[in-house]
Amino acid sequence: MNYGSKTTFMGFDTDKRRLPLFKRIVLYAYDKDNGEIFGRTPSSWAQVGIFYTGLYLSLIAMFGVVLWVFFQTLDPRTPTRQLEHSLIGTNPGLGFRPMSNETHSTLIHINSKSVEDYSVWMDRLVQFLDVYKKPGLTPGRGQNIATCNYNQPPGKGKVCDVDVKAFDTCTEEQRFNFHRQGPCIFLKLNKIYGWNPIFYDDPNDLPHDMPKDLKERIKQITNPEELRTVWVSCEGETVSDKELIGPMSYWPIPGFPGYFFPFENSEGYLSPLVAIHFERPAKSIVINVLCKAWAKNIIHKKNGINRGSVHFELMMD
Amino acid sequence: MFLNIPEMSSKDYDLHGRTDSYRVATVPSLFDDNKTVDGKPKTRRKAPSSISTKYSHAENLDELKEDPYLDYHKISLDELYQRFGTHPGTGLTHAKARENLERDGPNTLTPPITTPEWIKFTKQIFGGFSVLLWCGAILCFLAHTAETSTTEDPNDDYFYLGVVLVAVVIITGIFSYYQQAKSSAIVNSFRNLVPQIYLGSSLIAVIVVTGFLSYCRQYNQGAIIWSFYETTSQFALVIRQGESLTLRAEDLTLGDIVELKFGDRIPADLRIIESHSFKVDNSSLTGESEPQSRTSEFTHDDPLETKNLTFSSTHAVEGTAKGVVIAVGDNTVMGRIAGLASSLDSRPTPISREIINFVNFVNITAIIIGLLLFIIALMMGCYWLDAIIFMIGFLVAAVPEGLLATVTVCLTLTAKRMASKNCLVKNLEAVETLGSTSTICSDKTGTLTQNRMTVAHMWFDNQIIEADTTEDQSGVQYDRSSPGFRALARIATLCNRAEFKTGQDGVPTLKKEVNGDASEAALLKCMTLALGDVMSIRRRNRKVCEIPFNSTNKYQVSIHETEDSSDSRYLLVMKGAPERVLDRCSTIFIGSKEKVLDEEMREAFNNAYLELGGLGERVLGFCDMLLPSDRFPKNFMFDVDEPNFPLSGMRFVGLMSMIDPPRAAVPDAVAKCRSAGIKVIMVTGDHPITAKAIAKSVGIISEGNETVEDIAQRLDIPVSEVNPRDANAAVVHGSELLDLPPEVLDEILRYHKEIVFARTSPQQKLTIVEGCQRIGGIVAVTGDGVNDSPALKKADIGVAMGISGSDVSKQAADMILLDDNFASIVTGIEEGRLVFDNLKKSITYTLTSNVPQLLPFIAFIMLSIPLPIGAIAILCIDLGTDMVPAISLGYEHPESDIMKRPPRNLIRDRLVNNRLISLAFCQLGIIEAFAGFFTYFVIMAENGFMPYKLIGIRREWDSRAVNDLPDSYNQEWTYQDRKSLEYTCHTGFFIAIVVVQWTNLIICKTRRNSIAHQGMRNMALNFSLIFETILALFLCYLPGMDEALRMYPLKWTWWIPPIPFALALFIYDEVRKFYIRRNPGGWLEKETYY
Repeated sequence: MNYGSKTTFMGFDTDKRRLPLFKRIVLYAYDKDNGEIFGRTPSSWAQVGIFYTGLYLSLIAMFGVVLWVFFQTLDPRTPTRQLEHSLIGTNPGLGFRPMSNETHSTLIHINSKSVEDYSVWMDRLVQFLDVYKKPGLTPGRGQNIATCNYNQPPGKGKVCDVDVKAFDTCTEEQRFNFHRQGPCIFLKLNKIYGWNPIFYDDPNDLPHDMPKDLKERIKQITNPEELRTVWVSCEGETVSDKELIGPMSYWPIPGFPGYFFPFENSEGYLSPLVAIHFERPAKSIVINVLCKAWAKNIIHKKNGINRGSVHFELMMD
Repeated sequence: MFLNIPEMSSKDYDLHGRTDSYRVATVPSLFDDNKTVDGKPKTRRKAPSSISTKYSHAENLDELKEDPYLDYHKISLDELYQRFGTHPGTGLTHAKARENLERDGPNTLTPPITTPEWIKFTKQIFGGFSVLLWCGAILCFLAHTAETSTTEDPNDDYFYLGVVLVAVVIITGIFSYYQQAKSSAIVNSFRNLVPQIYLGSSLIAVIVVTGFLSYCRQYNQGAIIWSFYETTSQFALVIRQGESLTLRAEDLTLGDIVELKFGDRIPADLRIIESHSFKVDNSSLTGESEPQSRTSEFTHDDPLETKNLTFSSTHAVEGTAKGVVIAVGDNTVMGRIAGLASSLDSRPTPISREIINFVNFVNITAIIIGLLLFIIALMMGCYWLDAIIFMIGFLVAAVPEGLLATVTVCLTLTAKRMASKNCLVKNLEAVETLGSTSTICSDKTGTLTQNRMTVAHMWFDNQIIEADTTEDQSGVQYDRSSPGFRALARIATLCNRAEFKTGQDGVPTLKKEVNGDASEAALLKCMTLALGDVMSIRRRNRKVCEIPFNSTNKYQVSIHETEDSSDSRYLLVMKGAPERVLDRCSTIFIGSKEKVLDEEMREAFNNAYLELGGLGERVLGFCDMLLPSDRFPKNFMFDVDEPNFPLSGMRFVGLMSMIDPPRAAVPDAVAKCRSAGIKVIMVTGDHPITAKAIAKSVGIISEGNETVEDIAQRLDIPVSEVNPRDANAAVVHGSELLDLPPEVLDEILRYHKEIVFARTSPQQKLTIVEGCQRIGGIVAVTGDGVNDSPALKKADIGVAMGISGSDVSKQAADMILLDDNFASIVTGIEEGRLVFDNLKKSITYTLTSNVPQLLPFIAFIMLSIPLPIGAIAILCIDLGTDMVPAISLGYEHPESDIMKRPPRNLIRDRLVNNRLISLAFCQLGIIEAFAGFFTYFVIMAENGFMPYKLIGIRREWDSRAVNDLPDSYNQEWTYQDRKSLEYTCHTGFFIAIVVVQWTNLIICKTRRNSIAHQGMRNMALNFSLIFETILALFLCYLPGMDEALRMYPLKWTWWIPPIPFALALFIYDEVRKFYIRRNPGGWLEKETYY
């Protein structure tokens, strides 16, 4: 035990500790006396470098191996977990177009007086509808496409066509009515693998909170097959919004026909669309719009959060 | 040099104020003046008194001591009365007393100024890691405000997280504050306060708080017992206006006449004006346990030595006295020393220095890297709110929130364990300091020795015989029937005033308490063991008259009737300082014959005397004489004052020598210290020879090691020619120390392995402690007297004595030895070292999980993937699942004999060193992070998002506006569904960390050994594995946790992905340790052995 000697106690090498901070940093960066750069000699750095390179390479290799093994359990077309087994659940939401390019913003602000301004929004819609117009843009759509109606559901492996011409004034040619201050907004239902809607197929058994005009519309339907539809309705969120929003029309019908379901990730599948034509919305004021999809297995509120629906704000200038 | 016995001047001994004790008469009369016989200085370190005393720190103390007294002990009594306006018969008038009391305040010590509690608390709340957490909390509230103002449908997550962060900060603040709070009042107030604070804060916090509080409470209860030092109120008998009053001690004032009797505690500093065989025990002030007589005569200039002063807080043990109060409260000697002690700064403990360094390191690194990444994120076009979320997460992830609490709990557990081994630790951090101790300055009396004089040797029939000094009476036996022994035993029995206290029937003889002088008690016990009932022998040999011991005669005589009824002669027996006794003898009793005391016999006597003296023992000479019956017939009236009987021409019988024997466990403990690389320095007020003898017998000076003086004697050369470096051992005299420049003291401390400081005043301890600290030692100091308290305070570890220690010394100390035993310190050191090792393991364990917490945030920004783990999940790990396992590592058994290695080097052996950080952060932590990411990718992929789809998706993923985000299977996800998936991933990442922390915990059990060697015997750790798992299950599956903590239930298969990485972690570390064991000192050890 050499506790009598200097080394056991801390009385060594205090010279360097007494230097001012800046000099110490410089000395740390490069110490001429022992050739240390940042506390290590180049050869020491090399050793450490080799060690960590080796360690990390083997870790990455291992990560690759376990990931590869895991990928063997996955199917490229079918999700491993579906519907209630997956977190996507069984309650599809709605999507709207066109969308703002600002993060978190759901405001559609259209200045119908300035072509420059509304053409930005128009371009987004045109781009969105492109795939519907040109089947070649969607891989596999060309071969699988079938024209469907309520009496004629698609055959196996086929996908239904979405008729872009049935949107009335809501077309590119009509500039989606943006310039006439009666804009068209497109809605689509979220695709969930294997999800089948349970339709409100009895006109006498409709939910009480369904808007009146939609109820009336359903009651007028004569062909029972046509009741096999996921209905869509839009409303102003608050009382004042309801007044400001004005009349609306839905094209081609206020809902998504049942023959589009279930979505099974078939090649070329495109979501059905509903165009909503806001005919006379109030000007220069933000209108909060809530659009809901109606089916027995779509719930609209859970823990105070809106679901099975979409919210956006509309402002016309 | 022993042969040349100089006549000791009484003045020399007056220095120490114990002139009438046997001790003075019987220590070898060699006054060590630090000069050799020929007048040269003993060491060449200095010429005696040649260097100015300005170096001496004792100076302040001496000044301090003398200052308040001026001349109260010197002036005449009349002048004294006049000065205080008092009268010895009637005392002060009530009016005068009231006036004095108003002027000087009550006779109590002013408590030291303390920082107000709320300031201490605020410091805890804003210190350490709290800074980062506060930043996080502020960012949370900022983000919340920003959200509320920009969106219709604000998410309360940030607000909630902010509240949790603040709660965490406050609760951790309470921990640390609690750790500092020692008094019972605070403990009680906190019992009421705590529930209100954690109401509404998260579940994890509750678990930790309750766990912690119960630990703390248990610990503090131990401490409370010791905290009511001076609360018992005392009373004093005072004469005022001619009447005797019983007043509370704090009502005393200057000039009061106080009556004292044995058993009283002296209420203030007094000048004695009247006394009847009055003796005081000054041990609480000076550490000297022998009672000293106090009379009204002025004997010494130094107020501490003069006989006419007694001091507050000492005790009267015999007789009665009357005194005038000359100082009260803070002006008393005790008050002054206590004041000095509380004004001395003790340096921060090594562990707190380590922790401060580490906290600063983490804070600075986290802030720099965090800001850098924040700027990078903004430059990469990240939305500012996302960047803020990132900052919050990063700060929360970078801070090991549970670490400080873990350290505290580990130290508390060790403190509890130490308390059960008789080391009561007052200051938690001292637990670890004890482990770093490199030097122990130990008292001799009571700590190394039993504080019980015991007969060690006898000399009769020209033979030195070893008496039995062992505690268990297994020592050497001797012939008890020889006439020589019987004659000696008769004197020792009869010429002895000591008696056993009554009511001790069951107690072993050596442990019985005795009324009387320590030397006489030793003789009494020795004789009781040899002869049986001493009292009946004394009754059969009735004492006729007696001359008690006094410092001028240095002998004691008594005359007895003999038990032999046929012999009517009286027996005169005498004992005393050997050379004085021998002078009165003309014959010597050897081999049952009485021989003339010739030169040869004197020589034999001298040899025996010197040999015993050289052993550091207190020697007494014994002689007797049968008085001729013709001159001293029965019923002769012996006159004690004018002796009418012969006191010379007696028969010398023998010598007996006494020593305070070392405690049984001490030599072992010292050897343990030595193998543990700890220097044991003995600091004692005793004579150098006694000190050296005890030092040798306990191994402080080990066999074969010589001092400079020994070498000089062996080589027969002057001391000045010996190179001090050749001597391993040194015995340093206090007078030599007095004016030693610090550099020379440092040199002595550095180059001598074995040092004994003798004849030191307790104040010089402070000098020695400072010297040891200057050369880089971590110093533990033991002390019991009031004036040891500055040294105790200054030391890194002040150790007070639980039994013999004074209250002030206990207050100044960091640790109290409940059994006064040196060996307990060694136990404490062992625990302290163990806790240091275990803290390293605990910190490694805790820090490792920081990497899988940090990397997700970096990936979040750099790869733009959805956030893999959230801030709340991180808090669940740091304050939930990681806490109990980290604490359980504190129970880990040592890997090797921790008492076989030198104390840690404070600069090189850091608690948190580069190797620990690189192992935890760059190796183990990375493996854990891979496990987490794998789980994250598995959960994402099984739900539809393939890893390549995730990269770059963050902006849309986190956008509330995007209600239809497509995955790899073209399914479209609403914002809520995506967030559920994201939170499930957080939970998955959390579970992955829990799983890899299982094996991390197991590998952290050892730093070098294989786990197969260490075993799984740590039940606390095994329990913590189960506890951690149950807590994780609870957090993951308890209904409502999705709302409360954003923890979603996992499919059981998602527990599998981290398992391969847990195994990899285990295998990697076992291989690493295997190489470290196989290549000691190799590269891997240098880089990764923490």
